[in-house]
Amino acid sequence: MSERRFAASFLLPGGLWLLLLFLVPLGILLAISFGTTDDLGNAIYGWYPENYSRVFDSIYLPVLARSVGFALATVVLCLLIGYPVAYYIAVFGGRWKHVLVALVVLPFFVNYLVRTYAWIAMLGDEGLVNGALDTEIRFLNTPYAVIGGLVYGYLAFMLLPIYAALDRMDPSLIEAGKDLYGSRWQTFRHVTLPHTFQGVLAGTVLVFLPAVGDFVSAQLLGGPDEYMVGNLIQQQFFAAEDWPFGAALTVVMMLFLLVWMIMYLRAAAREAAVA
Amino acid sequence: MSDDIGAHSAEPSASATDAAIRFAGVTKQFGEATAVRDLNLEIENGEFFSLLGPSGCGKTTTLRMVAGFEQPTEGSIFLEGNPVEDVPPYKRNVNTVFQSYALFEHLDVADNIAFGLKRRKVDAAEIRTRVGEAVELVQLQGRESARPRELSGGQKQRVALARALVNRPAVLLLDEPLGALDLKLRKQMQVELKGIQREVGITFLYVTHDQEEALAMSDRIAVMSEGVVQQCGVPEDVYERPAGPFVAGFIGISNLLPGVAENLGVRLAGGQLCQAAVPGDCTVGTEVQLSVRPEKIWLDQLEPGMVSLEGSIVERVYVGTTTQVIVELEPGVRLVALEQNTARVEVHDRWNIGDRVRLGWRPEHSLVLR
Amino acid sequence: MSVEAAPAPAAQSPPRRRVKQFDRPRFLRVFTAVFYLFLFAPIVLVVLFSFNSTRSLQNFEGFSLRWYERFFESESLRDSLIASVEIALITMVVATILGTMLAYGLVRARTRWSGTANVLMLVPLVTPEIVAGASALLLFTQIGLQLSLTTIVLGHITFSISYVTVVVRGRLASLGPEVENAALDLGATRLQTFRLVTLPELWPAILAAGLLVFALSFDDFVMSFFTTGESPQPLPVRIWSAIRFGVTPTINAIGSFMLAVSMLAIGLALLLPRLLGRRESGLGVLIGREGA
Repeated sequence: MSERRFAASFLLPGGLWLLLLFLVPLGILLAISFGTTDDLGNAIYGWYPENYSRVFDSIYLPVLARSVGFALATVVLCLLIGYPVAYYIAVFGGRWKHVLVALVVLPFFVNYLVRTYAWIAMLGDEGLVNGALDTEIRFLNTPYAVIGGLVYGYLAFMLLPIYAALDRMDPSLIEAGKDLYGSRWQTFRHVTLPHTFQGVLAGTVLVFLPAVGDFVSAQLLGGPDEYMVGNLIQQQFFAAEDWPFGAALTVVMMLFLLVWMIMYLRAAAREAAVA
Repeated sequence: MSDDIGAHSAEPSASATDAAIRFAGVTKQFGEATAVRDLNLEIENGEFFSLLGPSGCGKTTTLRMVAGFEQPTEGSIFLEGNPVEDVPPYKRNVNTVFQSYALFEHLDVADNIAFGLKRRKVDAAEIRTRVGEAVELVQLQGRESARPRELSGGQKQRVALARALVNRPAVLLLDEPLGALDLKLRKQMQVELKGIQREVGITFLYVTHDQEEALAMSDRIAVMSEGVVQQCGVPEDVYERPAGPFVAGFIGISNLLPGVAENLGVRLAGGQLCQAAVPGDCTVGTEVQLSVRPEKIWLDQLEPGMVSLEGSIVERVYVGTTTQVIVELEPGVRLVALEQNTARVEVHDRWNIGDRVRLGWRPEHSLVLR
Repeated sequence: MSVEAAPAPAAQSPPRRRVKQFDRPRFLRVFTAVFYLFLFAPIVLVVLFSFNSTRSLQNFEGFSLRWYERFFESESLRDSLIASVEIALITMVVATILGTMLAYGLVRARTRWSGTANVLMLVPLVTPEIVAGASALLLFTQIGLQLSLTTIVLGHITFSISYVTVVVRGRLASLGPEVENAALDLGATRLQTFRLVTLPELWPAILAAGLLVFALSFDDFVMSFFTTGESPQPLPVRIWSAIRFGVTPTINAIGSFMLAVSMLAIGLALLLPRLLGRRESGLGVLIGREGA
């Protein structure tokens, strides 16, 4: 089929690039994770699976657990905040729908660092809030600050898919639901929620996965007690210069996320097949 | 080739006696499903030929194989005598009018029409002339610089037609082109299309599920069902002498009455004997269906020698020019008769529901189908 | 509500609606308003205080452009700005080309490899940047490629391709193959069809995707952090260093400037298609495509 051959050849450049510059590096990452460092601090290949047992050391385990915990909290908060706003824009936005969505997206084009820095400026000991209220409340260097920073950083990724799902919904379905179920809440539970499930799922994945690996919020808004696995990894690659261990940490994190990624891809494929 | 306005064939040796399109044992399978089964057909030059059938009967697949978008799984297709297995769509001397029009949104009407000519490197002056002719042919003068999105459905239809015709292909393929238009426009376009075909003289291969449309426009019709051609012939043949219950039922109202073949005719389930010309290969006792077209049925004032049946009127459907009178012979056995409302002023003039009526038809109008 | 002098018959008075505690629209409206407030507060702060005449973050003491002056007068910061723009431009061009081709292949070709290619394309979208960054760093050091703007560009292109593919793919799928078939039918080869019909129909999506990639690359921190050389470093990396060393109002100026650049890019993506005669804007193309 010459059409197939023509179109298939288009897959080559991009596919090859991703293969060589995305997959192969992941392979190198995996290989180095079993390696060690020589006297000069360079990473060399070898067979040192103890890198992995180090990951689960009692020093590091809490950090891993904290990362997952923070990420989960971020997802929940993004959902609780993002869903109502998406609902308002989609259902009650009217002519201003597109403007409202654009306004949600706009802050995300301010650099993540600058946005986080703005929170430092606002919540720092010498920041705006403390200055305005003439207090000395410690906002930063707490888990709440870090989670807040994460939520602020990833909220759009939850809101947009949910908005898209709500926008695609046929409004007459809600009308029918009101007839059937009477109360608004029931209608929401039985009609709206199932139909937007795909959007919620996509949003959850788009927030959870990157959040687990985030290190910017923890670094800038928190202290060593709030460090996440991302900070650990970053330290190994830049401060401690222990690349194999950093790689091992990364692989462990990646495997953990892979489980959720596969579950999501399966669920998405199933939905697409049904639709 | 650019200076030869009349000729169009890029293929060698198109002899005048070759059929425009010939299907030889063509089968098309998509995985497990067979869309077209052992198709053998010849379409003559200058013919308006229709493929008629319900959705899924294989007519569109057949068309796409001629255009080159699908390849037959078995068999061969010949265009003007030349096999086209290895010929890609852009090298075939056929053009298609798509059901969805498929106009190029980023080009205006004139550029849409000129597209095929530009690909063939026809020179600019000739392009202008031919595009002008095409626009006149489909009556779109004044709209040459409009964009497709500014046009109505009917206008887009004409652009699609002009875009295909301007290349003077050997065959024009039309895939249910009038499907999206409203009834009145559709009827109007049917007449126009027929006129254009006559004027241009190109072979038209027309795909439709609308039997009235096929009957009105075609020189010949091939009725298809489940990938097989059930009957191929001129409209009159297909309508008056359907080859089987499917064709009888698909085209017009068929009035199928189950019965058993006898020497002189068909004995219906209710016992009546209807005179009919029983085909030679139909032995006495064979189960058959007796069919008669509604407009052949006379109500009440029968002639001597007619097939004659009795029943009661159960329904009356007034359609303006005609009235359908539905008569029940026995419970579950009904016939639809068609009466012209020529002399009548009111609907209730002749028939009331519940009336007993005698109906009949000339024996030569009886069709014995299996 | 004033009461009429003539009493209305009791039977005809309309049923009074019970005012709920959280009248759905009103509660939502307030919630949304508060949301936008919190969303924009930091942004407004940054922009506002970038014009502050003093370094205070608590009081706005007068309008001044000194922090912008500091920014543009610093040679190294200027170099960083230029570096960021260069990186973003190159990334935009290359990722758009590769991503568009990939989208075309995924939608039009139905081979055994399509499913694999599809997954391969989706994975970078959900992979934490730190993973991509660390593995990119490993790759470059293992093959002996020195860290520089080149390595940053390579890293950026890698994560950008998928964004382009997702955006363009959506548009391509909705266009359908019929128009391309029409071109083939009229005598255009497959390559000509792609050039003369597919690309023109696609270009709002391609443009939107390209400008999105520009903005993402310009703003990117993590990948740049892992793959950057000594100098020049892209702006976000400079901001990181500056923040680590203490808060300085110049960051406000840099941040506001970067916001302006990103807004310009996105604004162009949304407006250009409309200005150049197409009916839809890029927004619809972008919004519906998040999350593959």
